[in-house]
Amino acid sequence: MRDATAKARPAPRLITLTINGEVREVMVRPRIMLLEVIRDHVGLTGTKDGCESGTCGACTVLLNGKPVLSCITLAVECDGKTVETVESLSEGGKLGDLQEAFLDQGATQCGFCTPGILMSAKALLKNNPKPSLPEIKKALEGNLCRCTGYNAIVDAILQVSDQGVAPLMK
Amino acid sequence: MILFDFEHESSPSAEAAVARLNEVSEETRFLAGGTDLIPNMRIGITKPERLISLTSIPYAPPTLDAKGWLEIDALTKLSEIEHSKLVGDAAPMLAASAHSVAGNQIRQVATLGGNLCQETRCLYLNQKHDFQFVEPCFKRGGDCCYPFPKNKKNVCWSVYMSDIAPVLMALNAEVSVLGAGGEVRLPIAALFTGDGLRPHTLNPGELIRRIHIPPAPSHFGWGYHKSTVRGGLEFATALMAVALEVKAGGLVCSDARIAIGAVNEGPVRLDKTEAAMRGLELNPANLRMLADQASQEVNPLPHHGFSKPYLRDNIRVHLKRTLSLAVERAGKGLKENRS
Ligand SMILES: Cc1cc2nc3c(=O)[nH]c(=O)nc-3n(C[C@H](O)[C@H](O)[C@H](O)COP(=O)(O)OP(=O)(O)OC[C@H]3O[C@@H](n4cnc5c(N)ncnc54)[C@H](O)[C@@H]3O)c2cc1C
Ligand code: SF4
Ligand code: FES
Ligand code: FES
Repeated sequence: MRDATAKARPAPRLITLTINGEVREVMVRPRIMLLEVIRDHVGLTGTKDGCESGTCGACTVLLNGKPVLSCITLAVECDGKTVETVESLSEGGKLGDLQEAFLDQGATQCGFCTPGILMSAKALLKNNPKPSLPEIKKALEGNLCRCTGYNAIVDAILQVSDQGVAPLMK
Repeated sequence: MILFDFEHESSPSAEAAVARLNEVSEETRFLAGGTDLIPNMRIGITKPERLISLTSIPYAPPTLDAKGWLEIDALTKLSEIEHSKLVGDAAPMLAASAHSVAGNQIRQVATLGGNLCQETRCLYLNQKHDFQFVEPCFKRGGDCCYPFPKNKKNVCWSVYMSDIAPVLMALNAEVSVLGAGGEVRLPIAALFTGDGLRPHTLNPGELIRRIHIPPAPSHFGWGYHKSTVRGGLEFATALMAVALEVKAGGLVCSDARIAIGAVNEGPVRLDKTEAAMRGLELNPANLRMLADQASQEVNPLPHHGFSKPYLRDNIRVHLKRTLSLAVERAGKGLKENRS
């Protein structure tokens, strides 16, 4: 039986997000994170749920074009905004150039960090088409990878930005 | 995932936010970037019943006021501060410290005000507790301290890890605080109590509005260092910020401020070392002597696995280098000390 003295729960609120170009309306309570909306309400599970505390970067998405950590972003704070997730990088089952470069350089192993790293890299390349090595490292400092040792990831970004790293496989 | 419910509302202006927080009865917090508050709510350090969001409040970009002071709205994002040309020109040390906070994604949303108001940290406090410890520590209203079991009742040795606060202390910055009774302007040091249990002097319902940084004098030099293990996405082991002036045409120090962060309950100034610097020629031998003295003046709390002697050593070594850099910049004169 419900406790009669318990406080009323905050009412769910209707918010509108444009996720990968599609307008989505979802009902959320204030405590729900953008990550939960993306994965559980909308069903786009490319974005990964790692640490849920802002320390790993696996949940990185672009919010109004900027890379943010969806695990520490309240969904109600995103009402009316646009969200891009890793699913936006491919079209009709065909991988985008950035993803192809990651594949080519072996920049993904277990793959858990990859969606977040791809989104951080996308944000970097959008503003800075030919980033230097220190700029790449700084842009990725908030994305942890336990498998690759990072070098292949940096090479993939250098490859896709046409900065002297040749494809390994093609 | 946050395991409890809370109300959320957005405020259209700083004044409305302050009025609203003073009007509601339940435990309420301001929400800026949320990069400190949300993780803390997730692990249950704080359990507000209501958040008043500041993120829809419009704010102006950094400006210079009539007297040449750099004025920055507290809602300005750290990424905006690190990339602002004006900040880079007028207060490059502030830009450098904003650049060193957390990681890129966090800096996109984290604000200057939130950075200054961040909660103190300790290895126990910043973990999810249910699997680890049952009883809360002093800071959470209990009656023990896990990392320092011999601490007297209510002595909390959590450390304040803002990368930016020591810089503002060294730059002699001021802060405008908006409360129910209006706005007051205070020296930045007035924000900090030095008590780990309640590290800030602000009362609930008081909001940081703006930061003001005085113009740099000529022959001014600065140095900033954040000691870390990994070099990215990491809180500091120790922070040092140096601002000094030399007399024209030489290396004799006419004024100096040194602030140390991340090793105490708030940022600290090294008054004795600063006094010893004034009138002294800042040659390498004297800088070494000053760094030695500073490492004895500072009284670091052991934190995150770093012992007090280690922290003293870290500060001695890196402060020497930071001082040298500041002297070098001061020697070059105002025009060239930007980068
Ligand atoms: C993985 C990770 C790494 C981090 N690394 C660093 C680091 O290296 N250095 C560092 O300094 N910080 C670090 N942080 C902490 C945090 O991200 C920053 O301090 C950030 O600047 C906080 O700003 P915010 O706007 O997100 O604050 P919020 O989380 O929104 O707010 C923090 C507190 O300040 C209060 N508040 C916010 N704005 C105001 C205001 N204007 N007036 C009064 N009160 C206000 C809030 O009520 C809350 O209590 C890190 C955080 C994470 C998750
Ligand atoms: S140092 Fe402070 S926050 Fe950490 S366990 Fe002790 S009382 Fe708690
Ligand atoms: S899941 Fe968001 S940063 Fe780790
Ligand atoms: S590929 Fe496994 S964590 Fe990066």
